[in-house]
Amino acid sequence: MFELDVRSRVPIYEQLFEKIKELIIKGLLKEHEQLPSVRALSNDLTINPNTIQKAYRELENQGYIYSIPGKGSFVAPLKDRDINKEKIEKILEEVKKLMLEGLYLGMDREDFIKVLEDAIKIKEVR
Amino acid sequence: MLRVNGLYKKYDDFEAIKNVSLYIPRGVVYGLIGSNGAGKTTLLKTVTGIFEKDRGTVTLNEKEIYENVEAKKKIFFIADNPYFYPGYTVKDMANFYKTVYETWDEVKYERLRGIFKIDENKKVRNMSKGMQKQVAIWLGLSTNTDVLILDEPLDGLDAVIRQRVKKLIFHEVIDRQLTVLISSHNLRELEDFCDYVAILHSGEVILEKEVEKLKSSIFKVEVAFNDGMPEELMKRIKLIKAVQKGRMWVLVVEGERIEIEKTIQSYNPILFDIVSLTLEEIFMYEMEGIGYEYENINY
Repeated sequence: MFELDVRSRVPIYEQLFEKIKELIIKGLLKEHEQLPSVRALSNDLTINPNTIQKAYRELENQGYIYSIPGKGSFVAPLKDRDINKEKIEKILEEVKKLMLEGLYLGMDREDFIKVLEDAIKIKEVR
Repeated sequence: MLRVNGLYKKYDDFEAIKNVSLYIPRGVVYGLIGSNGAGKTTLLKTVTGIFEKDRGTVTLNEKEIYENVEAKKKIFFIADNPYFYPGYTVKDMANFYKTVYETWDEVKYERLRGIFKIDENKKVRNMSKGMQKQVAIWLGLSTNTDVLILDEPLDGLDAVIRQRVKKLIFHEVIDRQLTVLISSHNLRELEDFCDYVAILHSGEVILEKEVEKLKSSIFKVEVAFNDGMPEELMKRIKLIKAVQKGRMWVLVVEGERIEIEKTIQSYNPILFDIVSLTLEEIFMYEMEGIGYEYENINY
């Protein structure tokens, strides 16, 4: 379930954090589903258990998981709002980047408005 | 837990260890990096109380280790070239350690026998170097000490065994908060193994860092602006290094990723890319900063 790149520039702790977050947001890890134990994960991936603990702690701090002492870590119920907020932020970032690129290529306000209107039309049809 | 404070060690006129201070909390995997002759083995042997120090203190739970049997019972040291008695089989060595370490775990010894798949009735000295290393690790883990100190333990082991050894050590860290001090001449080998890494050079610790924290606190940024680099921006971010390549700038910046992104984006760059640094790069920049050439120190 978790494939990490130990040679990556991205810290292992961050990779793990992002991966689990993604699985939760996409619903591959369901509410109240138990996460693999630190021991099992450390064994599967051959990574330092303290690093895994750090990632779990951060996920808990940000409300993605909760832990029951002696039992393990579980996926916290996530409000739809929170999922969307995160996605929207990402989209806005992407759109801004693309728009900037478009501006440098000579696109203008009307071009963007047309794209927006097209998108709205497509959504309405669906 | 394990504390080294202002440690000095001299061989005749040669100062092998100079003013080394380290603190290793319980349950932590601590890596010591240094080239050949940097003083790694001397430091480890002085920490374990095999060598007598000249100055400073080495304590386990606030008690001096040197000539202290109680403290030494809590430490197992796996030397670069592990020593086995002539003619002793693995079983013989196990029986010997059983008398030395009260914490010896026979169940673990048996379990590890199944994992290492080494014949316990074979004479250890007749085995290959790599096999002897595995025997030392097998015996070391079976002693169940609080602290495990390993001198270049992964050297000469193949990739499969190396992963196995790492896993076994991680298990001990989880199950009973084993504290590990490990040396290597290779930073890459330790980067996914350790919580902390220290660089030893000419007998001195010149850099000590928490690995994961480090990787998420320094970034390489490639950026370009229409009207050149804004002076103001250079002041608003914590720059470690800035190199101009044509219109593009390559910056090494310290700080939170999101903050760096926000700050730079606010100046509307025409090109912007941010990546984490590899541990190697971080050490390179940091050591340049304190006046060392990284290339001269590693490998």
